[in-house]
Amino acid sequence: MKTKLMGLGILAAVIVAAVVYVWVSDSREVTEISGYVGGEKIGLLEDEEVQEILRDQYRLEMDYAKAGSIEMVTADASGRDYLFPSSQTALELYERLFGSPVKSEIVFNTPIVLYTRSAVAQALLDSGIASEQDGIYYVDMALLTEAVENGTSWADLGLPQLYGNVTVGTTDPVKSNSGNMFAGLLANTLCKGVADETNLDSILPRLQDIFQKLGYMESSSADLFDQFLKTGMGAKPLIAGYESQLLEFAAENPDTWSQIKGDIILLYPTPTVWSSHVFIALDETGAAGIDALLDPEVQRLAWEKHGFRTGVYDVPTDADHFGVSGIAPEITMIAPMPDSETMERIIEALQ
Amino acid sequence: MRGFRYAADRLRAVFAAAVLMAFAAFALTACSFGTEEQEEASGSGDVSVLGSGDQTLRIVSGSENKELEPILEEYADEEDIRIEMSYKGSLDIMRLLEEEDISYDAVWPASSLWLTVGDTDHRVKHAESISITPVVFGIRKSLAEELGFVGREVSVRDILSAIEAGKLKFCMTSATQSNSGASAYIGFLYALLGNPEMITMEDLQSEELKIQVQELLYGVDRSSGSSDWLKDMFLEGDFDAMVNYECLMIQTNEVLEDRGEEPLYVVYPYDGLSLADSPLGYVDQGEEEKEELFLGLQEYLLSEETQDAIQRTGRRTGYTGISERNREIFREEWGLQPDRVLSPIRMPETEVLFECLNLYQTELRKPSLSVYCLDYSGSMSGRGNRQLVEAMEQLLIQENAAKNFLQASQDEVNILIPFNSEPIDVFMAAGNGSELEGLYERVEEQTPGGGTNMYSAIVEGLDLLYSFDLSDYTPAIILLTDGQSGGSIDDIEPYYSDLGVSIPIFSIMFGDADESQLEELAEYSNARVFDGRENLTEAFRSVKGYN
Repeated sequence: MKTKLMGLGILAAVIVAAVVYVWVSDSREVTEISGYVGGEKIGLLEDEEVQEILRDQYRLEMDYAKAGSIEMVTADASGRDYLFPSSQTALELYERLFGSPVKSEIVFNTPIVLYTRSAVAQALLDSGIASEQDGIYYVDMALLTEAVENGTSWADLGLPQLYGNVTVGTTDPVKSNSGNMFAGLLANTLCKGVADETNLDSILPRLQDIFQKLGYMESSSADLFDQFLKTGMGAKPLIAGYESQLLEFAAENPDTWSQIKGDIILLYPTPTVWSSHVFIALDETGAAGIDALLDPEVQRLAWEKHGFRTGVYDVPTDADHFGVSGIAPEITMIAPMPDSETMERIIEALQ
Repeated sequence: MRGFRYAADRLRAVFAAAVLMAFAAFALTACSFGTEEQEEASGSGDVSVLGSGDQTLRIVSGSENKELEPILEEYADEEDIRIEMSYKGSLDIMRLLEEEDISYDAVWPASSLWLTVGDTDHRVKHAESISITPVVFGIRKSLAEELGFVGREVSVRDILSAIEAGKLKFCMTSATQSNSGASAYIGFLYALLGNPEMITMEDLQSEELKIQVQELLYGVDRSSGSSDWLKDMFLEGDFDAMVNYECLMIQTNEVLEDRGEEPLYVVYPYDGLSLADSPLGYVDQGEEEKEELFLGLQEYLLSEETQDAIQRTGRRTGYTGISERNREIFREEWGLQPDRVLSPIRMPETEVLFECLNLYQTELRKPSLSVYCLDYSGSMSGRGNRQLVEAMEQLLIQENAAKNFLQASQDEVNILIPFNSEPIDVFMAAGNGSELEGLYERVEEQTPGGGTNMYSAIVEGLDLLYSFDLSDYTPAIILLTDGQSGGSIDDIEPYYSDLGVSIPIFSIMFGDADESQLEELAEYSNARVFDGRENLTEAFRSVKGYN
């Protein structure tokens, strides 16, 4: 009896020791990596399911500070393990400034889109700037740019309740990626092709003029989108952002979305550009982030809950669960971004 | 024996550990005392502590959020935490974010503009807009009717014409200290420039523009460093109009209605409107518990129920406009337009914006006429006097003042009256050049001694004000004292009422100053008392922001 009890005691001790060991080693093995992230990906990094996969399967915890894509690749990143900007351009800028990173890889993609309210969308349709096909809205970039350059007022488009002229609200192209890519898209539009060193000089003043009229610009796409939704039609009638932003909002806030979905319209510019969310590892520890984010389960969550298209510009298999109408299953009218030298000159000109 | 020794060793180790822990605990409390002192100092007394738990969330916020205290307190009580609200102008919050050490866990300025501009190190996380409110004009209803502003769209031009014709005077906050003042001022610039798409640096060179803005700001009755205090001041004084947030207009009208007085009619200038989006953001300094505390509070504020409660304070919340039930708050008879599409002007880029603010401070605002009555009684000797000299250095030496947008303007007048039991001397400086900086030497060379009678210095100050055309200036008396004063408010009354203009007597409390004497003066002259006991420089800066 006594030995039996003692045996049980030993067993219990062993179990406790094992539990403690596992617990201690478990908590020890999780590596925290820190870096700069574009605001539009914070929802994904804060996603508990994603965090769990990272922690349990990759022993990784991603700490982040929010920064604009262009800002983060040009700033001092000492002490950081990774950068997670939203475009190939940002990576190229980084490479030109600091050389090749330890590792880099495109993790998700999402097209640049425009967001507006139903009344504005209707006015854009009526004026011929926008068109609708199978429930999907498209904006003719050439016509939109023309309206902006000509100083067409909202009242001219039949919206007297809106003060001022037609503009597209963007983030600061000098700091943040969505604004930067939209600037690239505008440069392409003005060049009637892809902007490069042969045609850039002739259109730079026009591009500067368009952005000069915008005045103060947000430095984060997430903040701009939040303001678009909250400040209403008057403050931000038309903004540029990522397709993923609305999809994520609808997935995360289904109740709110059901109340406002009649009024929020997503428009695809023709042509548009892809934003490639590229993970730049600054050291070996940071490189582990790439494998973790490419995990099939993380990739699935990235689409289903955060709206990032994954794989190689894949056709999303199923977009119904978002409850967002007008998502283009395929994005065919894609223009390449101007190369990084050209973008660098654009950034300089807009500074 | 060995066993005993071993046990004794262990005991000793345990004892040592206990001592260490006690030390650590002591050090920790000492630390937290340290930061508490700092906080109070930086808030220069304008701090509200809500709830009483052990965990504290320190928020630096625009003063307009004072009205949300009951909502915050409910959460603090529910969760058993403490929420410390320190109120500062949005521009102060911007500057604070630029500093290396931030002694707050969260920031809550009036507009995300200041947050974005200040947060160059990207330490602010989770920033989300809590509510929206536009900056509007509130005009006494009968006057608004007389001016033809009721029931139609009004432009900034229309308002300017009324000011130019001498039919309208108004109060606003300082454009270089507070978001509502800055927003309104930018709206004025647009209108005076003929509504260009964007204000440029070249636009700001125009002499014609400068003259027009000066004329316009000449219509400013009283200025203030903060929007909420502007509302309080308006309610205490006899004014016709103010520029402030829509939500504070609603609150003002609720008070006016209770008193049976005429309400304000709210005018939304269609070509000069701006929005305050009230972002609440977490200052990431690597403390996970604080972050959780913050996220809890933010979730509460953004919950449907709280958003509704916030909407009932006159702020616009949520994604679907003002609810049916809350329309009674946004009363149309007060000119409120709950369904209005709020279409604001665009703010200029940072560089241009700062140039606008610099111009306001140094050239365009109504020049201030400040009488500093400074206590040089014996009790100020040593530390007190040293702090006074340091504080005045921040105001008088223009290079320092510029850091906080507190530069003197070219036409302003500064008067210095050192006093003990009576005024010791009078020094006067015009403009913002060497005369002004010369005042600093006077401050430095004066030595403390003798008793205290602040009233005698105020009388001297009032007497000097007789020789000025006060409508050309924003006049104020700024009093610093550290003790119980001889004399009484009766001593100044005849001089004060003789002037016929309400001159605010601001005071800075220091040392063992008698708060009741200072409060009495503040109430009498519709001014306020600043606490300089923890940080005198900060207090001087705040008071300067008011005129």
